[in-house]
Amino acid sequence: MTIAESLFENLRLELRRGCLTLAVLAQLRQEHYGYTLRKALAERGLVIDESTLYPLLRRLETQGLLASEWREEDKRNKRFYRLSGDGEEIFARLLGEWHDINASINNIL
Amino acid sequence: MELLDRYLESVRKYLPWQRQDDIIAELRANLESQLEDKEAELGRPLTKEEAEAWLKEIGPPTKMAARYQPQQYLIGPTFFPVYWMVMRLTFFWVAAIYVVVNAVVIATTNGTWNSVLQACLRLPLVLMTTAAWITLTFAAIEFIVTHYPSKLPTISVSDGWPSTAMPALEDALSPKKKQRTRAHAIAEVIFGFLFLIWLLLVPQHPYVLWGPGAAFLHSSPFRLAPIWFQFYCCIVVLNVLQLGWRCVELARGAWRQAHPVQQVVMKAIGLIPLGVLLSGQVWVLLRNPALDQAQYGPTADGINQGIRLSLTVVCAIVSAQLIWEAGRLGLNAYRRRIAAMR
Repeated sequence: MTIAESLFENLRLELRRGCLTLAVLAQLRQEHYGYTLRKALAERGLVIDESTLYPLLRRLETQGLLASEWREEDKRNKRFYRLSGDGEEIFARLLGEWHDINASINNIL
Repeated sequence: MELLDRYLESVRKYLPWQRQDDIIAELRANLESQLEDKEAELGRPLTKEEAEAWLKEIGPPTKMAARYQPQQYLIGPTFFPVYWMVMRLTFFWVAAIYVVVNAVVIATTNGTWNSVLQACLRLPLVLMTTAAWITLTFAAIEFIVTHYPSKLPTISVSDGWPSTAMPALEDALSPKKKQRTRAHAIAEVIFGFLFLIWLLLVPQHPYVLWGPGAAFLHSSPFRLAPIWFQFYCCIVVLNVLQLGWRCVELARGAWRQAHPVQQVVMKAIGLIPLGVLLSGQVWVLLRNPALDQAQYGPTADGINQGIRLSLTVVCAIVSAQLIWEAGRLGLNAYRRRIAAMR
């Protein structure tokens, strides 16, 4: 990988990091467990690695933005996540911020 | 599936023990669902090669496990700039003190080249030990602040911001010294000339230097060693050179500001008389050794030892200053070059 490619990759990951959180919070307005969440995001064009998404869910739960519960489905125990009360509030504010940034970038471009 | 079990066990090894079972159970449910979907698409179980390729796509167990850990660092971005500044300052002062102390010890114990070499070889170890202690201290601060934030008073490197301790904008942007005026330059030449005359009078009229002490020195059992005359000659030559240089500057109209390189060179030349003086073995002699050796010999030895020690310390300090200024000059030149390239 050349220096330019490596630099681009770092910047791309940096740009994506915040967007992924927003996308996960948005998708978890409906309840999902890890795999179905990943599939739902991929169907909408946002492919996320397993090693990124599953730990991210844990982190967001630790931060109180998500609530989770173990439940049996198709004879298998799965951990289902959904947006918590605090998560809904933070998500609304983040979404506002996202719209502002998006509008500003469009204005600049 | 055996391969998936082995993968999950490998991930488990790198997870925090309190959450291992929970994380592995969740990961297993997710990956098994994914595997089921893949097999349903194919209409058959995955071959060993396909399963290997799938797990390879998911990523190595270490990477997967690492993402479950909180971000870890010894010294975080809040404290790192302070840590780095402390490290640089401490390195400089430790190295300077080490050099001075060792120079004094070697000079006073008549050390050989071997002892100089040993002192040089010990320096990296001293610096590494210093770095280790500083790093440990900052790592401890980072750990306490990260893990017990509620039990501590707020620690912030930005406390007191904005601060009046910041350098004035003019000084920060332009580190140049205040320019000399023409009157200042003329005064320097006049006083330099008067100082030279005074200096030339010293050998014939010692009282201009010693005052009443000249008579005391004349009647004492001690006299100055010839090395002082060589030192005196060096001082005279240097002053003549400096006076000549100032006259040339004045004639050329270039008195406004001494070039930094010129300042460093003058300081380096200023080391010559000190070096000449330090090269002497004795600085004070007995006027009548045959008569006074028994009574005043030990005193003369004591005085000579004291002078040797003082000269060594002064030489080390002046050398350190010179190295510091030359380094700063080089750094500034390098920064200007980088700035010019942008």
